[in-house]
Amino acid sequence: MVWLQRSTLGHAMRESGVWTYGVVNLFHILGVATLFGSVLVLDLRLLGVWRHVALPAISKPTVPLAATGFAIAAASGVCLLATKATEYIGNPFLYIKFPAIGLGLLNVAVLSRLPAWRQQANRDLSPREQARLRVFGGISLACWLTAISAGRMIGYW
Amino acid sequence: MHSRLSLSIGLGILAASLAAVPASAHHGWAGNLDEEFELTGTVERGVSLAGPHATMQIRAQGKVWDLTLAPPARTERAGLKEGIIPVGATVTIHGHRNRDANRFEVKTERVTWNGRTFDVYPDRK
Repeated sequence: MVWLQRSTLGHAMRESGVWTYGVVNLFHILGVATLFGSVLVLDLRLLGVWRHVALPAISKPTVPLAATGFAIAAASGVCLLATKATEYIGNPFLYIKFPAIGLGLLNVAVLSRLPAWRQQANRDLSPREQARLRVFGGISLACWLTAISAGRMIGYW
Repeated sequence: MHSRLSLSIGLGILAASLAAVPASAHHGWAGNLDEEFELTGTVERGVSLAGPHATMQIRAQGKVWDLTLAPPARTERAGLKEGIIPVGATVTIHGHRNRDANRFEVKTERVTWNGRTFDVYPDRK
């Protein structure tokens, strides 16, 4: 944290004008909105909503959008953190947020290797496979909701 | 039928997570005492206009106090720019002290120095 605060990025964030933090914060919100908006639609589909819509028709647009949103949120998030990194030491919400993000990413990594996920465009999935995807959808939703809720609360600690 | 159940579960999770947000944790003042607090000391570290809130440090009563000012642009509009008040200068600040008696932090509404008052929260008394 000390290293991050003293980094060039930390200096740049602190010394480049009174609107810098606000603008970077805007990008963080746009990134989170893009990520969560996409994830919400995909996870609800995995949980069984809109079952008449083929899974690939939903996963094709939402997965790259979610990845883009995550990249924007992560990049802007590091900048926000670097501004006053040491102030966040001991902030309990940080210790909820980052493990939740880690778990969310792990969930994606495992899901993307599942035969049920990889075969979604080639054939109909068995009820068992659909049930498995449902679990991943539920975990995903819980992870990102936790990450966002804890993240929002960081500033109020 | 099944998808309606899933939808309710999904919305249930959403609602529960929003409800879990503590009601007291609204804008920053909740962590500070309601009573007005005034302190006179010398500037330890000058004004910084870094986000999310401008800050400065003063030494008073043998302690270094962290002053949390308004957001950077608002603090600047109040005339409190970086480098205006020199380190070592005597200032009087007015605001609300942190609820935690072990934390020497004040959410600061006004800073008075050399006959000038910088009112960074003019709508608060």
